Amino acid sequence: MEDEPEKVYTDDRHGQYREMLYGYDKDGNFTKQVGYHGASERVILQQVWDEFKDRIEDARQKVLSGKASPILYYMEKNLLNAQDLATHTGICVWFVKRHLKPGAFQRLSEKKLKRYAEAFNITIDQLRKVE
Amino acid sequence: MKDIVIDYTHRQAGHCESGATSNLLHFYGKEISEPMAFGIGTGLYFSYLPFLKLQYAPMMSFRNFPNTVFHRGMKHMDIDAGVIKKFRDPKESMDALDRNLEQGIPTGVQVGCFNLTFFPPEYRMHYNMHNLVVFGKKGDEYLISDTVMETVQTLSYDDLLRVRWAKGAFAPKGKMYWINQVPAEIDMRNAIAKGIRKTVYEMTKVPFPLIGVKGMRIMARDIKKWPKKHGNEKASFYLGQVLRMAEDFGTGGAGFRYIFGAFLKESGQLLNNQALLEAAGMMGEAANKWREFTFAGARNCKNRSKPEEDYDALGEKMLLIADMEASVYMKLDKILI
Repeated sequence: MEDEPEKVYTDDRHGQYREMLYGYDKDGNFTKQVGYHGASERVILQQVWDEFKDRIEDARQKVLSGKASPILYYMEKNLLNAQDLATHTGICVWFVKRHLKPGAFQRLSEKKLKRYAEAFNITIDQLRKVE
Repeated sequence: MKDIVIDYTHRQAGHCESGATSNLLHFYGKEISEPMAFGIGTGLYFSYLPFLKLQYAPMMSFRNFPNTVFHRGMKHMDIDAGVIKKFRDPKESMDALDRNLEQGIPTGVQVGCFNLTFFPPEYRMHYNMHNLVVFGKKGDEYLISDTVMETVQTLSYDDLLRVRWAKGAFAPKGKMYWINQVPAEIDMRNAIAKGIRKTVYEMTKVPFPLIGVKGMRIMARDIKKWPKKHGNEKASFYLGQVLRMAEDFGTGGAGFRYIFGAFLKESGQLLNNQALLEAAGMMGEAANKWREFTFAGARNCKNRSKPEEDYDALGEKMLLIADMEASVYMKLDKILI
């Protein structure tokens, strides 16, 4: 995936997609029209993306200050938690949580790193560092 | 492999799966509208599962499990349909799709949303219950009819394989479905009766407290508790989850209640049944109340630390909606079709 969701989501991008909306008017007819999302939908979507952004930024700071391994950053960036990441990579949850620490990450084999890189859809070199 | 383009009309719809079902039937010469397909396939549902977390908030659903609409719709209308629930090998799943396309059969597949390249970026989350129809192949690109999008889209072989093998909850595992043969006459009266009966059962009579109208009442009670239990920030985030599930991309608005109301109205006109038309009106009113609930709730989500709307009032609103819906199902239960 080329574009990262957390950067792409802005308000002006929102107008590009129209969806089918149903409604019920005063005369008792069900209406059907193609239109843009209203302001309230924009608010609730913005809310969840703000939450994701905060988590990604937190993870980035942790990795840069050496408190966590890059896997934490890429996990949050892909909107996953440890449980989901375990199913994506086929590695047991207990080990996934262990690999989130920098020390355990340093000792990971190429084979394990490859599995993580495949799950995040990036190369192993990218996985080793955080921009 | 040669280029294949099946003569398939893409029509936009509110909900991915009922839209796909309706479009597939249109290809075989039957005009079943989207609300009709949704109602006969018993798409309406409610479940509230606070012990499961989706995107860090309690999980709830306003629709039935993936592929219920297609399966039950086909069963209730007596149409011969083929399904392959899962494959072992990703490559084999793509070969099976190619074989179907060579025979000129437009095929529906279940996919995950996260890596769907043509999807709006703000909706790309880990959600594995999306459906789309593949109806052609040009070189390496597959032609895709995704009913929530306005126009026909394309996906490359690798991208389609990745979304068909998305992982996580409700993993699609390459699931695909298609229609084999459509009978000359469809017994609509029977199909509608079966669809309504099943929906009424699922919304009021399932012997489990978190499903149907009972689940809505429990959720209303929980909404009142959230600010005290979790604080304002988290309460507004949880409330946002309710609204997202109800109003997100591909619901047609108000948690599918508008589509179901349209189904009741259409079948009432088809069968000349006055009681069904009245029920449709009641459902429309309930759906409008859902919209009001969304507008009120969104104000709380905007100003997160200081709620503008009282959570008690929101809970009461939700209880009122639950009562309104319950009266619709009670009415439907007594109608003889």
